[in-house]
Amino acid sequence: MDLLLQYCLNGLMLGMMYALVAVGFTLFFGVLDVIVFSHGDTVMIGSFAGLATYWWLHSTYPGLPAGWAVLLVLLAAAATVALLGIIVADAMIVPLRKGPALNTLLATMMLGTVLRESIRLFFPDGSNPQTFPALLPGWSWRGGNLILRFDNLVLFCGGALIIFLVHMIINRTRLGMAIRAVAQDEEAARIMGVNFRFVVLATFALGSAVAAFAGVMNGMYYSEINFSVGLLLGAIGFSAAVIGGLGNIYGAILGGFIFAFLQTIGAVAIPFASAYKDVFAFGAVILIMAWRPTGLIAEPSSQRV
Amino acid sequence: MNPLLICTGLTMRFGGLTALDNLYLEAREGEVLGLVGPNGSGKTTLFNVLTGIYRPSAGKITFAGENITSGTPQEIHRRGIARTFQRSRLCLDLSVFDNIMIGNHTALRLDFFHNILRRRAFCRDYELWRDKAAEMLRALNPSLVSRMFRPVGDLSMIDRRRVENSRALVRRPRHPRLHDPSAGMTHDETRQLMDEITASRMGGDRLTVILIEHEMEVIRRSTSHCVVLNFGRKLCEGDYAGVVADPRVQEAYLGKELE
Amino acid sequence: MSRAAAIFSGPLGCILPAFLLLAWSGFFLTAEDQTSILLSLLSLAGFLLAAVRLGWVNILREAIAVQERLWDACLITIMLALMILFREDHYNLFLLGTIMAYATAVLGLNVQLGYAGVLNFSCASFFGVGGYTAALLLSGTDLPPLLALPLGGAVAALTGCVLLLPVLRTSGHYAALVTMAFALLFRVFLDVSEWFGGPQGIPVAPLTIAGLDFSQGILWGDAEFSFYLKYDLLLLLVLCLAYSITRRLERSWIGLALDAVRSDEVASACFGIHIRRWKITAFTLGNFLSGLAGALYAMMLAYISPANFTFADSLLFLSILLLGGIGNIQGVLVATVLVVIVPEKFQVIQEYRYLIYSALVLLMIVFRPVGLLPRKPRAYTGSPA
Repeated sequence: MDLLLQYCLNGLMLGMMYALVAVGFTLFFGVLDVIVFSHGDTVMIGSFAGLATYWWLHSTYPGLPAGWAVLLVLLAAAATVALLGIIVADAMIVPLRKGPALNTLLATMMLGTVLRESIRLFFPDGSNPQTFPALLPGWSWRGGNLILRFDNLVLFCGGALIIFLVHMIINRTRLGMAIRAVAQDEEAARIMGVNFRFVVLATFALGSAVAAFAGVMNGMYYSEINFSVGLLLGAIGFSAAVIGGLGNIYGAILGGFIFAFLQTIGAVAIPFASAYKDVFAFGAVILIMAWRPTGLIAEPSSQRV
Repeated sequence: MNPLLICTGLTMRFGGLTALDNLYLEAREGEVLGLVGPNGSGKTTLFNVLTGIYRPSAGKITFAGENITSGTPQEIHRRGIARTFQRSRLCLDLSVFDNIMIGNHTALRLDFFHNILRRRAFCRDYELWRDKAAEMLRALNPSLVSRMFRPVGDLSMIDRRRVENSRALVRRPRHPRLHDPSAGMTHDETRQLMDEITASRMGGDRLTVILIEHEMEVIRRSTSHCVVLNFGRKLCEGDYAGVVADPRVQEAYLGKELE
Repeated sequence: MSRAAAIFSGPLGCILPAFLLLAWSGFFLTAEDQTSILLSLLSLAGFLLAAVRLGWVNILREAIAVQERLWDACLITIMLALMILFREDHYNLFLLGTIMAYATAVLGLNVQLGYAGVLNFSCASFFGVGGYTAALLLSGTDLPPLLALPLGGAVAALTGCVLLLPVLRTSGHYAALVTMAFALLFRVFLDVSEWFGGPQGIPVAPLTIAGLDFSQGILWGDAEFSFYLKYDLLLLLVLCLAYSITRRLERSWIGLALDAVRSDEVASACFGIHIRRWKITAFTLGNFLSGLAGALYAMMLAYISPANFTFADSLLFLSILLLGGIGNIQGVLVATVLVVIVPEKFQVIQEYRYLIYSALVLLMIVFRPVGLLPRKPRAYTGSPA
């Protein structure tokens, strides 16, 4: 029983991480109708940016309190990745959207490889896994076999807070209104005076910043980061966004938790072969697509003839 | 004249929107039926329901005495119904000939044996159709024949419409439907195009045509009978003069006069 | 038409470029030091640029279109000449074999994506299904080894049928996800499955046809030719077959139906074209070709592991198609040669090759999305009407 609960807790953590990644996918799809597959690698860049910031902080201000360190690491990671997102959107994705959607998908996949390889080649010792520092106190609560770690709790709550903030930005601010307007009808939004380019870039900054948080969270959770996680994280984030129904933020969050749930089930339910958990999860994704071809929370399809 | 196509109680709902509301419509053999009505009155929806793209929420469609209500687009096409589209849906990167042959699909031999292995027989088959397509195009615009293997995207608007009409007519359907043939063209071009369509009807069998058109002039010149739709319902029907004079039609198009 | 153009529209227009191509590739493949490799690459790039500027490419394309058989013969001769030239050189013969296996797989992908517009992000997985099928059949059964080739294709096609339902029901990005998920699933599955040798992979027994052992060199007088020569000859045969089938397919009513399905499903349906039928045909045929190529490639490698068939490899196949120009099978050949050979020969960039390669494809997509050789409108009988 404790073991099951432990699996559930881990699953929740994973789900939160995936949800944060998927939110980016779905936001970008909302405003530009494109899949930015390199988003998974953006997450990876976020964790490396956080690590670099930590190294710098650690060597210049050795006595910095942990709370400040966490905050600064997060801010620096978010800022770096948001800037990256803006550059990518402006230089590549906006110009590409006149062509077929497949081209954007492929181009962003290539971009993902470029990011991954850049870290591998140019980050100090980037080809090996890097230890990510434990920035939060390592308290934990033990009940039987169940271990509840304090830092995981903080990360989970932080993730929930970020999602709540995104929700507020989308629904309660002028920027959010502009994003929703562009998502619904770009032409009309432009005519009504929405600055399209600004909205797109802001969306990319927002989605990438969220990804940076997911990256740092990833590092702190596993206490290790690796240049190659981006591909799988990208595929998982994309799956989550698609399961939920592209363009729907709540669907993406749901999709993230569903994917983590599937992985957990794969690990628990097939005890003789927990290594098959990803096979199980991706297989389930394929089945879900066969069952609901436009995601669980489907947009009403409209095709003009 | 017998009605070739009869719709009874045809209803199409999209969520809360009723695009067609208990519509009764008949098209008699050999006539050109003009379908008019303001934007959003359900003309396009009617076309899509008739060609099997949408499945109607209620009602029945009979074509030549057979029930075609829930047929797929493929089945309906096989019975001899062809159409054009409001925003001409040609395959712009394919050649003129390719596009016409898409309309001819059901007449083509599609087995692997014929297409891949017996190339010589295939080439004879191909030359036959090429000559036929060239003949069709020559009647419309001789300069199209020499451009038969150029992408449709290179053509002018009127030539694209010609190709689209050829695509709809190449199988000699009993019942073509033309959707907004004048969209994106000047008055003169429209007149020319409609004359061509009329001419193609004169040659041989008389086709039954349903025509959606926003140019009232085209409707006047080409149709023998008009149906006016509004809010998915039939407002009135009759010949052009009668329909235009009807105060309900004027109200639907121009709005009610303030009391 | 100028006199030069008139001369080059004849047989010389095919033979001379073919000869140049042969001379260049012979030099490039034998070049050992990095400077001469760089120089030959630069000279090729400069020559191609000049050719595009001066319109030679168009002259060549017309000459090819008019004398297709001659050009086909030229290409086959080039391949055979290179094989004879490198008869004792394992490495170069292996490269040639890789090119031909990849080109066959990409031809399959071209039927799917280039003609019918069915997205497939798991081409390398089907390539791998063929390879693993061959490995298991050759080691576990007494079937005639040659049968492993068509069976590799057939098993790949059957595996594809598992994906048919979601592939047919979804479109656009949703369809991309289905095949992408399959590619990732396949890789993980191979990694963890004991039966398929796990991450270390499994050996593949060599092919034997009528007592002829493909793992042995050929003795010719005093010289011993590399055993890869046999595989290369067989691969050339398979590639020619695949090429001819795809070309005939394109120039037929079937090719037309596939194109119609790709460009407008609704309009196609209204003219009686059965969307599902053609999507299934294209998907299955494409997977068959990929699996066939994979089976032969696995035999040539003699040892396969999951790392040969990753999602990154599927991306590689896709970018070959995109680089060459979607739907153009000649472009497939050109792009495969470039993508396989250049990084292999260019040891300086070996470490950076994925970086440079993906950056190049990225730039290509942004600045020339139609690829190197964009597809031309269909000419049913070969020569333009």
